[in-house]
Amino acid sequence: MVTIAFKDLAKSNAASRGMPLERICFTPHPVWGKTDAEMYAYLEGNDPVSGKPLMKEVTDALTQPLTADEQKTGTVNISMGPATYTDTAENLQQYYLDNGMTDFMQIVIPTEEKLAEMLKGTSHKPDEVVGKMAPARGSYPEWTFNVRQVAINAVMAGARPEYLPTILAIAETGLTSLSSSTNSFATAAVINGPIRDKLNMNYGIGAMGPFAQPNAAIGRAWTMLSRNLSNSGIPGQTYLGTLGNGVNYNNLILPENEKDSPWTPLHVQKGFKAEENVVSVFVGFSISQGQGGIGLGVKPVPQYHEAIAYNCIPFGPLFGALIVCDPLVAQGLVELGYKTKEQLADWLQKNSLISAKNARSTLFANRWVPDPKTPDDAMIPYYQRADAYNFVVIGGQTNPYHMVANMSYRVSISIDKWA
Amino acid sequence: MSPALLAGASAEAKEKAAKTAAGPVKLTGLNPKGVAPPVQLVPMAPRLSSLDGKTIFLVSDGFPGADHFLDQVGNWFKKNMPSVTTVYRLKAGAFADDDPKLNAEIKSKGNAVIMAIGH
Repeated sequence: MVTIAFKDLAKSNAASRGMPLERICFTPHPVWGKTDAEMYAYLEGNDPVSGKPLMKEVTDALTQPLTADEQKTGTVNISMGPATYTDTAENLQQYYLDNGMTDFMQIVIPTEEKLAEMLKGTSHKPDEVVGKMAPARGSYPEWTFNVRQVAINAVMAGARPEYLPTILAIAETGLTSLSSSTNSFATAAVINGPIRDKLNMNYGIGAMGPFAQPNAAIGRAWTMLSRNLSNSGIPGQTYLGTLGNGVNYNNLILPENEKDSPWTPLHVQKGFKAEENVVSVFVGFSISQGQGGIGLGVKPVPQYHEAIAYNCIPFGPLFGALIVCDPLVAQGLVELGYKTKEQLADWLQKNSLISAKNARSTLFANRWVPDPKTPDDAMIPYYQRADAYNFVVIGGQTNPYHMVANMSYRVSISIDKWA
Repeated sequence: MSPALLAGASAEAKEKAAKTAAGPVKLTGLNPKGVAPPVQLVPMAPRLSSLDGKTIFLVSDGFPGADHFLDQVGNWFKKNMPSVTTVYRLKAGAFADDDPKLNAEIKSKGNAVIMAIGH
Protein backbone atom coordinates (compact mmCIF):
# COMPACT_ATOMS: atom_id res chain seq x y z
CA MET A 1 0.00 0.00 0.00
CA VAL A 2 1.50 3.30 -1.12
CA THR A 3 0.34 6.87 -0.51
CA ILE A 4 -0.58 8.50 -3.82
CA ALA A 5 2.24 11.06 -3.63
CA PHE A 6 4.61 8.21 -4.46
CA LYS A 7 2.57 6.65 -7.28
CA ASP A 8 5.08 7.11 -10.10
CA LEU A 9 8.00 6.38 -7.80
CA ALA A 10 6.49 3.10 -6.61
CA LYS A 11 5.59 1.89 -10.08
CA SER A 12 8.90 2.82 -11.71
CA ASN A 13 10.90 1.44 -8.81
CA ALA A 14 9.03 -1.85 -8.88
CA ALA A 15 9.67 -2.09 -12.62
CA SER A 16 13.38 -1.34 -12.30
CA ARG A 17 13.64 -4.06 -9.62
CA GLY A 18 12.05 -6.66 -11.88
CA MET A 19 8.36 -6.51 -10.97
CA PRO A 20 6.74 -4.17 -13.50
CA LEU A 21 3.29 -5.52 -12.60
CA GLU A 22 3.67 -5.56 -8.84
CA ARG A 23 0.22 -5.25 -7.27
CA ILE A 24 0.27 -1.80 -5.68
CA CYS A 25 -2.80 -0.24 -4.06
CA PHE A 26 -2.87 3.48 -3.33
CA THR A 27 -4.19 5.51 -0.42
CA PRO A 28 -4.67 9.25 -0.21
CA HIS A 29 -1.64 11.21 1.00
CA PRO A 30 -0.56 11.90 3.69
CA VAL A 31 -1.17 9.41 6.47
CA TRP A 32 1.25 11.25 8.74
CA GLY A 33 -0.62 13.54 11.15
CA LYS A 34 -4.04 12.01 10.39
CA THR A 35 -6.29 10.70 13.15
CA ASP A 36 -7.11 7.00 13.45
CA ALA A 37 -10.63 7.77 12.21
CA GLU A 38 -9.30 9.62 9.17
CA MET A 39 -6.98 6.77 8.30
CA TYR A 40 -9.75 4.21 8.73
CA ALA A 41 -11.89 6.31 6.41
CA TYR A 42 -9.12 6.01 3.80
CA LEU A 43 -9.48 2.22 4.05
CA GLU A 44 -13.23 2.34 3.61
CA GLY A 45 -12.91 4.65 0.63
CA ASN A 46 -11.61 4.13 -2.88
CA ASP A 47 -8.12 3.73 -4.23
CA PRO A 48 -7.53 7.24 -5.69
CA VAL A 49 -5.76 5.77 -8.74
CA SER A 50 -8.15 2.98 -9.76
CA GLY A 51 -11.30 4.47 -8.22
CA LYS A 52 -12.17 1.02 -6.81
CA PRO A 53 -12.85 0.18 -3.13
CA LEU A 54 -9.40 0.15 -1.54
CA MET A 55 -9.56 -2.87 0.76
CA LYS A 56 -11.32 -4.97 -1.88
CA GLU A 57 -8.35 -4.19 -4.09
CA VAL A 58 -5.95 -5.17 -1.33
CA THR A 59 -7.62 -8.52 -0.64
CA ASP A 60 -7.93 -9.20 -4.38
CA ALA A 61 -4.22 -8.43 -4.81
CA LEU A 62 -3.48 -11.19 -2.31
CA THR A 63 -5.90 -13.76 -3.72
CA GLN A 64 -6.43 -13.26 -7.46
CA PRO A 65 -4.35 -15.80 -9.46
CA LEU A 66 -1.23 -14.49 -11.16
CA THR A 67 -1.36 -13.73 -14.86
CA ALA A 68 1.26 -15.12 -17.25
CA ASP A 69 2.97 -11.71 -17.42
CA GLU A 70 3.23 -11.56 -13.64
CA GLN A 71 5.14 -14.84 -13.65
CA LYS A 72 7.63 -13.90 -16.35
CA THR A 73 11.35 -14.33 -15.79
CA GLY A 74 14.35 -13.31 -17.87
CA THR A 75 16.43 -10.25 -18.56
CA VAL A 76 15.22 -6.98 -20.06
CA ASN A 77 17.81 -4.59 -21.48
CA ILE A 78 16.97 -0.92 -21.07
CA SER A 79 17.20 1.24 -24.19
CA MET A 80 19.09 4.48 -23.65
CA GLY A 81 17.78 5.94 -26.94
CA PRO A 82 19.58 6.62 -30.22
CA ALA A 83 23.31 7.38 -30.16
CA THR A 84 22.84 10.64 -32.06
CA TYR A 85 20.14 13.12 -33.04
CA THR A 86 20.34 15.22 -36.21
CA ASP A 87 18.41 18.43 -36.71
CA THR A 88 18.77 22.20 -36.76
CA ALA A 89 20.40 23.77 -33.70
CA GLU A 90 17.07 25.24 -32.66
CA ASN A 91 15.26 21.91 -32.93
CA LEU A 92 18.05 20.10 -31.14
CA GLN A 93 17.82 22.54 -28.23
CA GLN A 94 14.14 21.68 -28.01
CA TYR A 95 14.80 17.97 -28.38
CA TYR A 96 17.28 17.84 -25.50
CA LEU A 97 14.92 19.94 -23.38
CA ASP A 98 11.78 17.94 -24.19
CA ASN A 99 13.55 14.68 -23.41
CA GLY A 100 14.63 15.75 -19.95
CA MET A 101 18.34 15.98 -20.73
CA THR A 102 18.88 19.61 -19.64
CA ASP A 103 18.39 21.93 -16.70
CA PHE A 104 15.74 23.72 -18.77
CA MET A 105 18.18 26.33 -19.96
CA GLN A 106 19.97 26.47 -23.31
CA ILE A 107 22.83 24.02 -23.65
CA VAL A 108 25.88 23.75 -25.89
CA ILE A 109 24.91 21.10 -28.44
CA PRO A 110 27.33 18.20 -27.87
CA THR A 111 28.65 17.41 -31.36
CA GLU A 112 31.50 15.00 -32.09
CA GLU A 113 33.77 18.00 -32.75
CA LYS A 114 33.03 19.59 -29.39
CA LEU A 115 33.37 16.25 -27.65
CA ALA A 116 36.80 15.67 -29.27
CA GLU A 117 37.90 19.09 -28.05
CA MET A 118 36.60 18.38 -24.54
CA LEU A 119 38.38 15.03 -24.38
CA LYS A 120 41.71 16.84 -24.83
CA GLY A 121 41.24 17.85 -21.19
CA THR A 122 42.07 14.34 -19.93
CA SER A 123 44.61 11.65 -20.76
CA HIS A 124 42.10 8.94 -19.97
CA LYS A 125 40.48 6.85 -22.70
CA PRO A 126 36.91 7.75 -23.62
CA ASP A 127 35.60 4.28 -22.81
CA GLU A 128 37.17 4.11 -19.33
CA VAL A 129 34.48 3.60 -16.71
CA VAL A 130 34.33 6.53 -14.29
CA GLY A 131 31.77 5.23 -11.81
CA LYS A 132 28.16 4.62 -10.90
CA MET A 133 25.41 6.93 -9.69
CA ALA A 134 21.76 6.68 -8.63
CA PRO A 135 19.12 9.23 -7.59
CA ALA A 136 19.53 7.79 -4.07
CA ARG A 137 22.06 5.08 -3.38
CA GLY A 138 20.38 1.77 -2.56
CA SER A 139 16.93 2.96 -3.56
CA TYR A 140 17.32 2.99 -7.35
CA PRO A 141 19.42 1.04 -9.84
CA GLU A 142 22.85 2.59 -10.33
CA TRP A 143 23.71 3.67 -13.85
CA THR A 144 27.27 3.26 -15.10
CA PHE A 145 29.12 5.89 -17.12
CA ASN A 146 32.45 6.41 -18.83
CA VAL A 147 34.78 9.33 -19.61
CA ARG A 148 33.09 10.00 -22.94
CA GLN A 149 29.64 10.30 -21.38
CA VAL A 150 30.89 12.64 -18.66
CA ALA A 151 32.61 14.74 -21.32
CA ILE A 152 29.40 15.02 -23.37
CA ASN A 153 27.64 16.43 -20.32
CA ALA A 154 30.56 18.79 -19.67
CA VAL A 155 30.15 20.15 -23.21
CA MET A 156 26.42 20.66 -22.67
CA ALA A 157 27.11 22.61 -19.47
CA GLY A 158 29.44 25.04 -21.25
CA ALA A 159 32.65 23.73 -19.67
CA ARG A 160 36.12 24.16 -21.16
CA PRO A 161 38.42 21.15 -21.67
CA GLU A 162 40.65 22.16 -18.76
CA TYR A 163 37.66 21.81 -16.41
CA LEU A 164 37.13 18.17 -17.38
CA PRO A 165 39.39 16.53 -14.73
CA THR A 166 37.48 18.35 -11.98
CA ILE A 167 34.16 17.31 -13.49
CA LEU A 168 35.36 13.70 -13.82
CA ALA A 169 36.40 13.74 -10.14
CA ILE A 170 32.94 15.01 -9.15
CA ALA A 171 31.35 12.29 -11.29
CA GLU A 172 33.57 9.66 -9.67
CA THR A 173 32.16 10.56 -6.23
CA GLY A 174 28.91 8.90 -7.39
CA LEU A 175 26.96 11.59 -5.54
CA THR A 176 24.02 12.93 -7.51
CA SER A 177 23.28 16.63 -7.19
CA LEU A 178 19.57 15.84 -7.62
CA SER A 179 18.81 13.60 -4.66
CA SER A 180 15.44 11.90 -4.92
CA SER A 181 14.53 12.80 -1.33
CA THR A 182 11.35 14.69 -0.51
CA ASN A 183 13.62 17.07 1.43
CA SER A 184 14.91 18.98 -1.64
CA PHE A 185 18.56 18.47 -0.75
CA ALA A 186 21.50 20.48 -2.06
CA THR A 187 25.11 19.51 -2.73
CA ALA A 188 28.44 21.29 -2.41
CA ALA A 189 31.87 20.67 -3.93
CA VAL A 190 34.92 22.15 -2.21
CA ILE A 191 37.85 22.55 -4.58
CA ASN A 192 41.37 22.66 -3.18
CA GLY A 193 44.86 22.85 -4.65
CA PRO A 194 46.69 24.87 -7.31
CA ILE A 195 44.07 24.02 -9.94
CA ARG A 196 41.89 26.78 -8.50
CA ASP A 197 44.33 29.36 -9.88
CA LYS A 198 45.12 27.39 -13.03
CA LEU A 199 41.42 27.44 -13.95
CA ASN A 200 40.94 31.03 -12.73
CA MET A 201 38.30 29.93 -10.27
CA ASN A 202 36.79 32.70 -8.20
CA TYR A 203 37.38 32.28 -4.47
CA GLY A 204 37.30 36.03 -3.75
CA ILE A 205 34.46 38.54 -4.01
CA GLY A 206 31.18 36.82 -4.82
CA ALA A 207 32.81 33.38 -4.90
CA MET A 208 29.51 31.53 -4.55
CA GLY A 209 27.76 33.74 -7.13
CA PRO A 210 27.64 33.69 -10.94
CA PHE A 211 30.90 35.54 -11.52
CA ALA A 212 33.37 33.06 -13.01
CA GLN A 213 33.11 30.55 -15.82
CA PRO A 214 34.82 27.59 -14.09
CA ASN A 215 32.71 27.94 -10.95
CA ALA A 216 29.55 28.23 -13.04
CA ALA A 217 30.24 25.55 -15.63
CA ILE A 218 31.68 22.94 -13.26
CA GLY A 219 28.67 23.37 -10.99
CA ARG A 220 26.22 23.16 -13.88
CA ALA A 221 27.98 20.08 -15.25
CA TRP A 222 27.36 18.30 -11.93
CA THR A 223 23.62 18.73 -12.32
CA MET A 224 23.70 17.91 -16.04
CA LEU A 225 25.59 14.67 -15.47
CA SER A 226 23.40 13.78 -12.48
CA ARG A 227 20.40 14.08 -14.75
CA ASN A 228 21.82 12.12 -17.67
CA LEU A 229 24.18 9.63 -16.09
CA SER A 230 22.03 8.47 -13.18
CA ASN A 231 18.43 9.16 -14.21
CA SER A 232 18.10 11.64 -11.33
CA GLY A 233 15.69 14.55 -11.51
CA ILE A 234 12.46 13.16 -12.95
CA PRO A 235 9.74 14.77 -10.79
CA GLY A 236 7.48 12.14 -9.25
CA GLN A 237 9.75 9.24 -10.20
CA THR A 238 13.33 9.94 -9.27
CA TYR A 239 12.90 13.40 -7.71
CA LEU A 240 10.44 13.93 -4.86
CA GLY A 241 11.70 17.19 -3.30
CA THR A 242 8.47 18.90 -2.38
CA LEU A 243 9.75 22.47 -2.59
CA GLY A 244 12.73 22.02 -4.88
CA ASN A 245 16.01 23.86 -4.43
CA GLY A 246 17.48 26.63 -6.58
CA VAL A 247 20.97 25.58 -5.53
CA ASN A 248 20.51 22.51 -7.75
CA TYR A 249 21.01 24.64 -10.89
CA ASN A 250 24.76 24.73 -10.40
CA ASN A 251 25.29 23.64 -6.79
CA LEU A 252 27.59 25.19 -4.22
CA ILE A 253 31.02 25.32 -5.80
CA LEU A 254 33.49 26.32 -3.11
CA PRO A 255 37.09 26.83 -4.21
CA GLU A 256 38.78 27.45 -0.87
CA ASN A 257 40.59 30.77 -0.48
CA GLU A 258 43.75 29.07 0.72
CA LYS A 259 46.05 32.08 0.43
CA ASP A 260 43.97 34.25 2.76
CA SER A 261 42.95 31.50 5.17
CA PRO A 262 44.83 31.15 8.46
CA TRP A 263 43.78 27.51 8.67
CA THR A 264 44.73 24.21 7.06
CA PRO A 265 42.86 23.69 3.77
CA LEU A 266 40.08 21.13 3.77
CA HIS A 267 41.84 18.63 1.49
CA VAL A 268 44.88 18.53 3.80
CA GLN A 269 42.53 17.82 6.71
CA LYS A 270 41.24 14.89 4.68
CA GLY A 271 44.70 13.41 4.17
CA PHE A 272 45.90 14.92 0.89
CA LYS A 273 49.04 16.98 0.32
CA ALA A 274 48.71 20.75 -0.05
CA GLU A 275 49.97 20.67 -3.65
CA GLU A 276 47.40 18.05 -4.70
CA ASN A 277 44.19 19.05 -6.46
CA VAL A 278 41.13 17.61 -4.78
CA VAL A 279 37.35 17.88 -4.83
CA SER A 280 35.43 17.15 -1.60
CA VAL A 281 31.66 16.75 -1.79
CA PHE A 282 28.94 17.46 0.73
CA VAL A 283 25.19 16.79 0.75
CA GLY A 284 22.33 17.93 2.95
CA PHE A 285 19.92 20.76 3.41
CA SER A 286 20.68 24.11 1.83
CA ILE A 287 22.86 26.98 2.99
CA SER A 288 21.71 30.04 4.91
CA GLN A 289 23.25 33.36 5.93
CA GLY A 290 24.51 33.86 9.45
CA GLN A 291 24.14 37.56 10.14
CA GLY A 292 21.46 37.12 12.80
CA GLY A 293 23.83 35.23 15.06
CA ILE A 294 24.33 36.30 18.65
CA GLY A 295 27.77 37.66 19.49
CA LEU A 296 28.40 39.39 16.19
CA GLY A 297 27.93 42.85 17.75
CA VAL A 298 30.50 42.27 20.49
CA LYS A 299 33.57 44.57 20.32
CA PRO A 300 36.44 44.62 19.67
CA VAL A 301 36.31 41.05 18.29
CA PRO A 302 32.90 39.64 17.40
CA GLN A 303 32.20 36.30 19.05
CA TYR A 304 32.06 34.37 15.79
CA HIS A 305 32.07 30.96 17.49
CA GLU A 306 28.92 31.89 19.43
CA ALA A 307 27.28 33.15 16.24
CA ILE A 308 28.10 29.96 14.36
CA ALA A 309 26.67 27.82 17.18
CA TYR A 310 23.53 30.00 17.27
CA ASN A 311 23.03 29.79 13.52
CA CYS A 312 23.25 25.99 13.63
CA ILE A 313 20.38 25.69 16.15
CA PRO A 314 17.82 24.75 13.45
CA PHE A 315 20.03 21.90 12.26
CA GLY A 316 18.97 18.29 12.67
CA PRO A 317 21.19 15.24 13.12
CA LEU A 318 20.58 13.78 9.67
CA PHE A 319 23.52 15.82 8.38
CA GLY A 320 26.53 17.56 9.85
CA ALA A 321 27.51 21.21 9.65
CA LEU A 322 29.42 22.86 6.81
CA ILE A 323 30.49 26.36 7.86
CA VAL A 324 31.56 28.74 5.10
CA CYS A 325 33.65 31.66 6.43
CA ASP A 326 35.05 34.76 4.82
CA PRO A 327 38.81 35.02 5.58
CA LEU A 328 38.03 37.93 7.93
CA VAL A 329 35.88 35.61 10.06
CA ALA A 330 38.56 32.92 10.08
CA GLN A 331 41.18 35.48 11.13
CA GLY A 332 38.83 36.73 13.89
CA LEU A 333 38.36 33.17 15.14
CA VAL A 334 42.15 32.74 15.31
CA GLU A 335 42.28 35.91 17.44
CA LEU A 336 39.66 34.32 19.70
CA GLY A 337 41.97 31.35 20.23
CA TYR A 338 40.78 28.91 17.57
CA LYS A 339 44.12 28.39 15.89
CA THR A 340 42.84 25.40 13.92
CA LYS A 341 39.58 24.26 12.40
CA GLU A 342 39.74 21.24 14.71
CA GLN A 343 39.83 23.44 17.84
CA LEU A 344 36.74 25.28 16.67
CA ALA A 345 34.99 22.00 15.83
CA ASP A 346 35.77 20.69 19.33
CA TRP A 347 34.28 23.79 20.96
CA LEU A 348 31.16 23.62 18.80
CA GLN A 349 30.66 19.90 19.50
CA LYS A 350 30.92 20.43 23.26
CA ASN A 351 28.81 23.58 23.40
CA SER A 352 26.06 23.00 20.84
CA LEU A 353 23.48 21.19 22.94
CA ILE A 354 19.75 20.54 22.92
CA SER A 355 17.65 19.41 25.88
CA ALA A 356 16.25 15.90 25.72
CA LYS A 357 12.77 17.43 26.09
CA ASN A 358 13.23 19.63 23.03
CA ALA A 359 14.96 16.86 21.09
CA ARG A 360 12.00 14.56 21.76
CA SER A 361 9.67 17.10 20.19
CA THR A 362 11.61 17.13 16.89
CA LEU A 363 11.41 14.76 13.93
CA PHE A 364 14.69 13.26 15.10
CA ALA A 365 13.67 12.12 18.59
CA ASN A 366 14.88 8.54 18.12
CA ARG A 367 18.24 9.59 16.79
CA TRP A 368 18.95 12.21 19.45
CA VAL A 369 17.39 10.44 22.44
CA PRO A 370 17.23 6.71 21.72
CA ASP A 371 17.02 5.81 25.43
CA PRO A 372 13.53 6.45 26.85
CA LYS A 373 15.07 6.67 30.35
CA THR A 374 17.03 9.82 29.46
CA PRO A 375 15.64 12.61 31.68
CA ASP A 376 14.01 15.58 29.95
CA ASP A 377 16.55 18.04 31.32
CA ALA A 378 19.57 16.10 30.02
CA MET A 379 21.54 18.11 27.47
CA ILE A 380 22.31 16.24 24.24
CA PRO A 381 25.10 17.25 21.83
CA TYR A 382 23.84 18.09 18.34
CA TYR A 383 26.56 15.83 17.04
CA GLN A 384 28.40 13.01 18.80
CA ARG A 385 31.65 13.71 16.96
CA ALA A 386 33.54 16.95 16.40
CA ASP A 387 34.32 15.98 12.81
CA ALA A 388 30.65 16.50 11.98
CA TYR A 389 31.72 20.16 11.73
CA ASN A 390 33.63 21.14 8.59
CA PHE A 391 34.89 24.59 7.62
CA VAL A 392 35.73 26.20 4.31
CA VAL A 393 37.28 29.66 3.99
CA ILE A 394 36.05 31.52 0.92
CA GLY A 395 35.25 35.10 -0.02
CA GLY A 396 36.64 38.52 -0.82
CA GLN A 397 37.00 40.14 2.63
CA THR A 398 34.52 42.92 1.90
CA ASN A 399 32.71 42.02 5.15
CA PRO A 400 33.27 39.49 7.95
CA TYR A 401 30.38 37.19 7.03
CA HIS A 402 29.76 33.50 7.33
CA MET A 403 27.10 31.07 6.16
CA VAL A 404 26.01 27.74 7.62
CA ALA A 405 24.81 24.62 5.83
CA ASN A 406 23.27 21.52 7.42
CA MET A 407 25.38 19.31 5.16
CA SER A 408 27.60 16.27 5.67
CA TYR A 409 30.98 15.50 4.21
CA ARG A 410 30.92 12.49 1.90
CA VAL A 411 34.23 11.90 0.13
CA SER A 412 37.31 13.57 -1.36
CA ILE A 413 38.56 12.57 -4.81
CA SER A 414 41.82 13.47 -6.53
CA ILE A 415 41.42 15.74 -9.54
CA ASP A 416 45.00 15.04 -10.64
CA LYS A 417 44.25 11.39 -11.37
CA TRP A 418 41.82 12.53 -14.07
CA ALA A 419 44.24 14.96 -15.77
CA MET B 1 21.49 52.68 -30.09
CA SER B 2 25.22 51.98 -29.90
CA PRO B 3 27.29 51.39 -33.07
CA ALA B 4 28.25 47.99 -31.71
CA LEU B 5 24.60 46.96 -31.49
CA LEU B 6 23.99 48.19 -35.05
CA ALA B 7 26.99 46.21 -36.29
CA GLY B 8 25.60 43.14 -34.54
CA ALA B 9 22.21 43.59 -36.18
CA SER B 10 23.85 43.82 -39.58
CA ALA B 11 25.89 40.64 -39.02
CA GLU B 12 22.76 38.81 -37.89
CA ALA B 13 20.92 39.85 -41.08
CA LYS B 14 23.82 38.62 -43.24
CA GLU B 15 23.86 35.26 -41.41
CA LYS B 16 20.10 34.88 -41.88
CA ALA B 17 20.39 35.59 -45.60
CA ALA B 18 23.19 33.04 -45.97
CA LYS B 19 21.15 30.38 -44.19
CA THR B 20 18.12 31.00 -46.39
CA ALA B 21 20.26 30.52 -49.49
CA ALA B 22 21.83 27.24 -48.34
CA GLY B 23 18.90 25.78 -46.36
CA PRO B 24 18.93 25.28 -42.61
CA VAL B 25 22.19 24.00 -41.19
CA LYS B 26 21.82 20.68 -39.41
CA LEU B 27 23.93 19.39 -36.55
CA THR B 28 24.35 15.95 -35.09
CA GLY B 29 24.14 15.94 -31.30
CA LEU B 30 25.32 13.08 -29.10
CA ASN B 31 23.32 11.09 -26.60
CA PRO B 32 24.45 12.23 -23.12
CA LYS B 33 23.03 9.32 -21.16
CA GLY B 34 24.81 6.71 -19.07
CA VAL B 35 23.95 3.02 -19.11
CA ALA B 36 21.15 1.54 -17.02
CA PRO B 37 21.70 -1.98 -15.76
CA PRO B 38 19.55 -4.71 -17.32
CA VAL B 39 16.45 -5.64 -15.34
CA GLN B 40 16.11 -9.22 -14.11
CA LEU B 41 12.40 -10.03 -14.06
CA VAL B 42 11.26 -11.50 -10.75
CA PRO B 43 8.18 -13.74 -10.81
CA MET B 44 5.63 -12.74 -8.19
CA ALA B 45 4.79 -15.10 -5.33
CA PRO B 46 1.80 -17.41 -5.90
CA ARG B 47 -1.43 -15.96 -4.55
CA LEU B 48 -3.60 -17.47 -1.83
CA SER B 49 -6.93 -19.03 -2.76
CA SER B 50 -8.53 -17.37 0.26
CA LEU B 51 -7.52 -15.29 3.27
CA ASP B 52 -9.67 -17.30 5.69
CA GLY B 53 -7.63 -18.30 8.75
CA LYS B 54 -4.45 -16.86 7.28
CA THR B 55 -1.76 -14.70 8.92
CA ILE B 56 -0.88 -11.43 7.21
CA PHE B 57 2.22 -9.49 8.21
CA LEU B 58 1.77 -5.71 8.12
CA VAL B 59 5.18 -4.19 7.51
CA SER B 60 6.17 -0.54 7.91
CA ASP B 61 9.29 0.80 6.20
CA GLY B 62 9.66 3.37 8.97
CA PHE B 63 8.20 6.50 7.42
CA PRO B 64 6.27 8.61 9.95
CA GLY B 65 2.63 7.59 10.28
CA ALA B 66 2.99 4.18 8.65
CA ASP B 67 2.76 2.42 12.04
CA HIS B 68 -0.57 4.07 12.92
CA PHE B 69 -1.88 3.50 9.43
CA LEU B 70 -1.12 -0.23 9.67
CA ASP B 71 -2.86 -0.32 13.08
CA GLN B 72 -5.97 0.73 11.19
CA VAL B 73 -5.41 -1.90 8.51
CA GLY B 74 -5.28 -4.44 11.35
CA ASN B 75 -8.52 -3.03 12.76
CA TRP B 76 -10.15 -3.29 9.33
CA PHE B 77 -9.33 -7.01 9.16
CA LYS B 78 -10.60 -7.58 12.71
CA LYS B 79 -13.89 -5.97 11.80
CA ASN B 80 -14.36 -7.27 8.26
CA MET B 81 -12.39 -10.52 8.09
CA PRO B 82 -12.07 -11.69 11.71
CA SER B 83 -10.55 -15.05 10.79
CA VAL B 84 -7.43 -13.23 9.54
CA THR B 85 -4.57 -12.74 12.01
CA THR B 86 -2.44 -9.64 11.47
CA VAL B 87 1.09 -9.16 12.81
CA TYR B 88 2.74 -5.72 12.76
CA ARG B 89 6.48 -5.39 12.13
CA LEU B 90 8.83 -2.44 11.55
CA LYS B 91 11.36 -3.29 8.86
CA ALA B 92 14.93 -2.78 10.03
CA GLY B 93 17.30 -0.31 8.37
CA ALA B 94 16.64 2.60 6.05
CA PHE B 95 13.52 2.48 3.91
CA ALA B 96 15.21 0.82 0.94
CA ASP B 97 17.31 -1.65 2.94
CA ASP B 98 16.60 -5.36 2.86
CA ASP B 99 15.68 -7.06 6.16
CA PRO B 100 16.54 -10.76 5.72
CA LYS B 101 15.62 -11.62 9.33
CA LEU B 102 12.12 -10.24 8.91
CA ASN B 103 11.75 -11.88 5.50
CA ALA B 104 12.63 -15.24 7.06
CA GLU B 105 10.10 -14.71 9.85
CA ILE B 106 7.36 -13.87 7.35
CA LYS B 107 8.18 -16.93 5.25
CA SER B 108 8.03 -19.26 8.25
CA LYS B 109 5.09 -17.79 10.15
CA GLY B 110 3.04 -15.81 7.63
CA ASN B 111 0.91 -16.45 4.57
CA ALA B 112 0.98 -12.96 3.06
CA VAL B 113 2.44 -9.51 3.59
CA ILE B 114 1.11 -5.99 3.13
CA MET B 115 3.80 -3.34 3.11
CA ALA B 116 3.05 0.33 3.77
CA ILE B 117 5.14 2.89 1.91
CA GLY B 118 4.65 6.61 2.29
CA HIS B 119 3.98 9.03 5.08
